[in-house]
Amino acid sequence: MFRNLFIACMTLAAVLISIYQFSSHEPRADFTYVNPSGIHTLDPARMSWTQDFRVALNIWEGLTTWDPATLAPIAGAATLPPQVSPDRLTYTFTIRGDARWSNGDPVTARDFVRGWRRAMEPGTAADYAFLFTDHIAGAAEYVAWRNEAVTVLAALETLRGGRRITSEQAKALSGYESIRTPSASAGPTLVNLAKEITPSASDADDKAWEAVAAALPTAGENWDRIADAVFDTHAARLDERFSRVGMSAVDDRTLVVRLARPCPYFLDLTAFPTLMPVHESIELLRESHRGAPITEQGLVVCDPQWTKPDYHPDGYPGLITNGAYRLADWTFKRRARLAVNPYFHAAGEVRCRTIDMLEYDNVSASLMAYEAGDVDFLTDLGVPYDHELFRLSQSGERPDLKRCVVLATYFFNFNCVSETIDGRKNPFLDARVRKAFTLAVDRRSIVDHVRRRGDRVASSFVPPAAIPGYEPPRGLDRDVETARRLLAEAGYADGADLGPIEVLYPPAQERVCQALARMWEEALNVHIELRAQESKTFAEEKAGHRFMIAWGNWYADYNDPTTFLDCLAAENGNNDSGYANPRYDALLADAAAQADPAARFALLRDAERVVVEEDCPILPILHYAELIAVRPGVNGIHPNARLWFPFRYVSVRR
Amino acid sequence: MMRRIARRLVAGLITIACIYTLTFVMVISIPGNPFQQGARNMPPAAERALRARYHMDDNWRYFLDFLRGAVRLDFGPTFTYADWTCNEIIATALPVSAMLGLLAIMIAVAVGVPAGVVSAVRRGGLTDVSILALVLVGISLPTFVTGAALLSVFAVYLKVAPVGGWGTLAHLPLPALTLSLPFIAYITRLTRMSMLDTLGSDFVRTALAKGLPQRTVVWKHALKPAFLPVLSYLGPATAQAMTGSFVVEKVFGVPGLGQHFVNAALNRDPGLILATVLVFATLLVTLNLVVDVLYAWIDPRITEAV
Repeated sequence: MFRNLFIACMTLAAVLISIYQFSSHEPRADFTYVNPSGIHTLDPARMSWTQDFRVALNIWEGLTTWDPATLAPIAGAATLPPQVSPDRLTYTFTIRGDARWSNGDPVTARDFVRGWRRAMEPGTAADYAFLFTDHIAGAAEYVAWRNEAVTVLAALETLRGGRRITSEQAKALSGYESIRTPSASAGPTLVNLAKEITPSASDADDKAWEAVAAALPTAGENWDRIADAVFDTHAARLDERFSRVGMSAVDDRTLVVRLARPCPYFLDLTAFPTLMPVHESIELLRESHRGAPITEQGLVVCDPQWTKPDYHPDGYPGLITNGAYRLADWTFKRRARLAVNPYFHAAGEVRCRTIDMLEYDNVSASLMAYEAGDVDFLTDLGVPYDHELFRLSQSGERPDLKRCVVLATYFFNFNCVSETIDGRKNPFLDARVRKAFTLAVDRRSIVDHVRRRGDRVASSFVPPAAIPGYEPPRGLDRDVETARRLLAEAGYADGADLGPIEVLYPPAQERVCQALARMWEEALNVHIELRAQESKTFAEEKAGHRFMIAWGNWYADYNDPTTFLDCLAAENGNNDSGYANPRYDALLADAAAQADPAARFALLRDAERVVVEEDCPILPILHYAELIAVRPGVNGIHPNARLWFPFRYVSVRR
Repeated sequence: MMRRIARRLVAGLITIACIYTLTFVMVISIPGNPFQQGARNMPPAAERALRARYHMDDNWRYFLDFLRGAVRLDFGPTFTYADWTCNEIIATALPVSAMLGLLAIMIAVAVGVPAGVVSAVRRGGLTDVSILALVLVGISLPTFVTGAALLSVFAVYLKVAPVGGWGTLAHLPLPALTLSLPFIAYITRLTRMSMLDTLGSDFVRTALAKGLPQRTVVWKHALKPAFLPVLSYLGPATAQAMTGSFVVEKVFGVPGLGQHFVNAALNRDPGLILATVLVFATLLVTLNLVVDVLYAWIDPRITEAV
């Protein structure tokens, strides 16, 4: 009896919950695909993953967009060609008359300025903010000015709360313009403060700054008033400072962009998701402080939930976009549904009216769903047995599996900057050692026998035959004799003298690293230690130059060699090897100033030759290939080097 | 009884507070930048700005802010999925996991208890040996093996179930069954053991001597005390099953909470780590309390003993 009662209760509960949980099901969309590891964000300014970009390109439209087959820039929300000044620094874009948001509002030049300004603001913390600071006149200065203010305002907020600031923050306070030379309106407090926060000792003395930082919270200052005065001064200058940045809406349909330097690939950049326009409704969700559109720390912050279609606080209408599709529905980690944007200028030509993006955390599961016919298109086939899929694709047995050679490079970094690593002397400071390690590697064998994924062997950083007009230098082929000689010249006649060499990598790269270790051990008689490290920790160790040899990869952001070559510039934040050669930087600078495209590419080629044939800060191994699966009957999906797939050209025959 | 519940409640709160503090210490001491999501290195200025924005430049403040929010059931933002809040993530994922977990536990009890009883009654016989062998298989095989096997048989070859996903009734049985297998095995063993104990006790011998049929003695008189160890196991087991299994969710593409436990840690997402841990801890403490109350209901003598 007891047992029956118990089981009956439980079963009843289960049935009830199931009926409650599993409600009605919508009909299948015209086209269904799997977004491999799910959407990270739909905020175009903040996204940095290919699968997010792929969604963005379908729901937003930049000034230009990409041809689905050739990836050449074609007209988007602006008409082509733009008016370009003779010095190639000023671009005047005209927004097309029928460009509309998904609520029917016209797309204006101001929407672009709004989106671009937001994307480069420190509060947005966009990975791709550098697209503005590198290319647009005045943007770097504006962002530096804003960053300084944010540092100071955050420090003042800390002091206002009665807590200690760091010596770095004290230094920033003391150097800050409106504290050092306060305007009359700021009042006398700031004048006193300027005296108080300047230590008597020299700036180099960290102890003096520590003392200042420690004394400030108890200095008896009225931090409330100081913080407010500094905030108000900064807020009052915001628009004036921004007007010096080279982006302005002359009228509703005219956008003038001034570049910092000639940029032959600018129309490629304007198609990039970070440069999307943003509808004015976002202002409803913007935080403000003391009447200014920034937070008390000086950051531009909008409620990050603005990208949801059904988010309606304070009269917010939900996400409004200007692309071929609008976001109709988005369930976390399950599905996002796109529906055609009825106001889109080419809405009539869009064949698939609804699109479902499904999220599977597991590639094998998504592949099974594809084989079962539930899914029309897969962009990621990274299953453990993918080499078998590549074989089936190459042999023609599975014509639905198509290979894309991607504009990306798989390489290893040599540490060119740290004197010692874990107390051991770093032999890779010597370019001869780096070159010897490069010459000892048999890349063909890694591509053909270890990965077996149809990748291309790489001896240069920039993939060959990928960027029209640019052919990278030949690079170094395997040459064990020269490798041994170079090692001997560097003072390591026997490789064993080098001591153990550590290779650092995330776990997924285990097999390639094992193969490399054997090549180096056999060719150079060195002792290699392999160290796999969890990805996030690895990323931090790599960025902090705490390695001897570390795995790395790079995907092109735009169709120009500089998207690769800039990474090795001395001051670049992604220069993980720590490589610094003034000659290389000078060649890049010369190329940046060069207006003639052919001469520019020649300079870039010279620069690349320095890194891949002489200095060898990185060891290129291969250029990735990827497989996509397109169900028979689906037309309009073209395999391409950047894995962009605009769905407005897709049609499905069932 | 009430005093006992109150005492357990206070102890539960202290446990949760300790778990929160320990987790927090781990969250702030592990290496890795929670804001960096892509392959690019983050500019230091941007990272500083974000730390200031979320008060993460001040550990004490962050500790108290998060705690204050959690008490009001607001777990704040997540950095991995910037467009969503931790609350939304838990609100969409927890019901899925809870549903699946409850179902798995029901299957486990419905199968495990009778199997254990039969095994105990026929101890040493062929039935007992075969049940024990199956149980051994159930405990030893990890769910990613059993899950994949079930998937291949029922979804790929027989095509009677979908290969994965969530949303219709057809999506339920395979993951629920997979999830329940280890619980079935454990419950069977527990029931068998305590049933053997009970069957050897005086009151069972008396009942049999008085001429009661074996069926009535076993299922009516012996099962009640024999069920107690299973009941105390059910508390933590239910909490564990309801908060999701990373493996089962991965194999079947179920959008539950288990994946967030693992991914939040891998992504160094402090808000989501703390939120998922707190949800799990609260469920565990609550269900243990429920088990205690049920204990008293089944056997009132226990209340006085503890």
